[in-house]
Amino acid sequence: MQERGVDYDRLDERDLALRLQANGLAEGYDLIWCRAISHSQAAYALSILNGWGIKTVNSDQVVNTCGDKVLTSMALIQHGVPTPRTVVAFSVEAALQAIEEMGYPLVLKPAVGSWGRLLSKVNDRDTAEAVLKHKATLGGPVHSVFYIQEYVDKPSRDIRTLVVGDEVVYAMYRRSDHWITNTARGGEALSCPLSPEIRELSLAAAHAVGGGILAVDLLETAGGHLLVNEVNHTPEFHGAAKVVDVDIAGKMADYVLQMVDW
Amino acid sequence: MRVGVLCSRVRVEEKLIFQALQDRGVDSERIDDEAITLDLTGGLDGYDVVLIRCLSHSRALYASKLLGENGQRTVNTYEVIATSGDKLLTSLALAKRGVPTPRTRVAFTAQSALETIEQMGYPVVLKPLNGSWGRLLAKINDRDAAETILEHKHTLGGYPHSIFYIQEYIEKPGRDIRSFVVGDETIAAIYRNSPHWITNTARGAEASNCPITPQIDRLSRAAAEAVGGGVVAVDILEAPDGRLLVSEVNHTAEFRNSIAPTGVDIPGRIVDYALEVAAMEPGRLS
Repeated sequence: MQERGVDYDRLDERDLALRLQANGLAEGYDLIWCRAISHSQAAYALSILNGWGIKTVNSDQVVNTCGDKVLTSMALIQHGVPTPRTVVAFSVEAALQAIEEMGYPLVLKPAVGSWGRLLSKVNDRDTAEAVLKHKATLGGPVHSVFYIQEYVDKPSRDIRTLVVGDEVVYAMYRRSDHWITNTARGGEALSCPLSPEIRELSLAAAHAVGGGILAVDLLETAGGHLLVNEVNHTPEFHGAAKVVDVDIAGKMADYVLQMVDW
Repeated sequence: MRVGVLCSRVRVEEKLIFQALQDRGVDSERIDDEAITLDLTGGLDGYDVVLIRCLSHSRALYASKLLGENGQRTVNTYEVIATSGDKLLTSLALAKRGVPTPRTRVAFTAQSALETIEQMGYPVVLKPLNGSWGRLLAKINDRDAAETILEHKHTLGGYPHSIFYIQEYIEKPGRDIRSFVVGDETIAAIYRNSPHWITNTARGAEASNCPITPQIDRLSRAAAEAVGGGVVAVDILEAPDGRLLVSEVNHTAEFRNSIAPTGVDIPGRIVDYALEVAAMEPGRLS
């Protein structure tokens, strides 16, 4: 921002108290770029800002869709983007029945959450029963919805791409011996050639959730297909910065400034 | 003679206990644990003995403590409830008395729990320290399951889920044994038959009579004695090599499904024991 001669402020969401009737922030920003870590805080802040007519990157709609795996999967499917087979259930019994019908292994994910937290790889019925009971005990809105997905046997890596507007800025592999490949959990970032297929699928996934600055997670199936696994609305890119020779922050900043005049 | 029955709800078990008291012409009263308050020096007046039949372990634990400290005789005693209501304390009591029990380890973090599970080998069972009816027991068959269950337990947090109780899984022959010990006698035993590894009758296991062999009798009484005696139900696993292992001891067991198959008047025996405790010379109380 500084290099581009743009006047900017850092707003710490912990300092904000947004008066809903006030209809705007006194400072009169042209745009607010949201980098809040908490999904729920980002989603509500953006809903309020967009409600006031203040432009944001990303929009509240994009953040709401990407922040919820059920809504992401639905958006992908509705736009014909290939994604793993997914079932949603609302009770332990219905979830267990769906799991038995889908077959093992499969993955249970909290509909809301990041950094690979509380993901479960379920290889048998004993595990399914125990995980579902623990989730039911955890309770709350997140754990009362059972998001069940086929397990895609990846080649010890997945692919993460960064989409900024209509451009795929980079692709990288996240290599890990663990099936959870998040760099936050020790996945190693390696450069990945940006093939036309990866590019096309990333743009389609970003478009499906509403577009903006987005990280797309892709899985390589044993049959050589690519599936979109998740789309992230506030991507961390410090891992990528080491393996990708692109000015990532600059690309993002240019997009944000472009959106001001859009 | 006046007997108090401290309970949360009058289940089938408590109805049968009141019936047995009535049959013996004993004056009895239901004490509602949701209505009473206790002060630290008073206790409850006018009972020769109080049968503790609370649904909640924590209520049974503290009620028996307050009553016992104020000279009120209770069945069970605080000591029995405190030990058998906690799987770790139970395992420890059993091990110290030489009562055979499954190999058990305790860890205090998810990370050290994972390491010890990997050392023990699969399958293992994770159990909350407190809890009944087979709730939140987890059979862990591989590392994927261990990682996610430990993370869920860590997220659940709180007192019961912050201690990781890890036990070798005993391959049972589609059943386990539950014996009922009253005082120093094994009065009845049932098989709990279930295709599921969790064999609680509350979870659909079927009860059938189990002959009290000398070995079952000895083991049951030893387990009861290890936790302090009283009225307890002892869960026994038959290992593939023929050994019998005590897995748990229960201080407020349900017994409705055990009367018909065994033909034993379990509530009558419990009441008779309570009356004995009430009538004991103070010096004979342990």
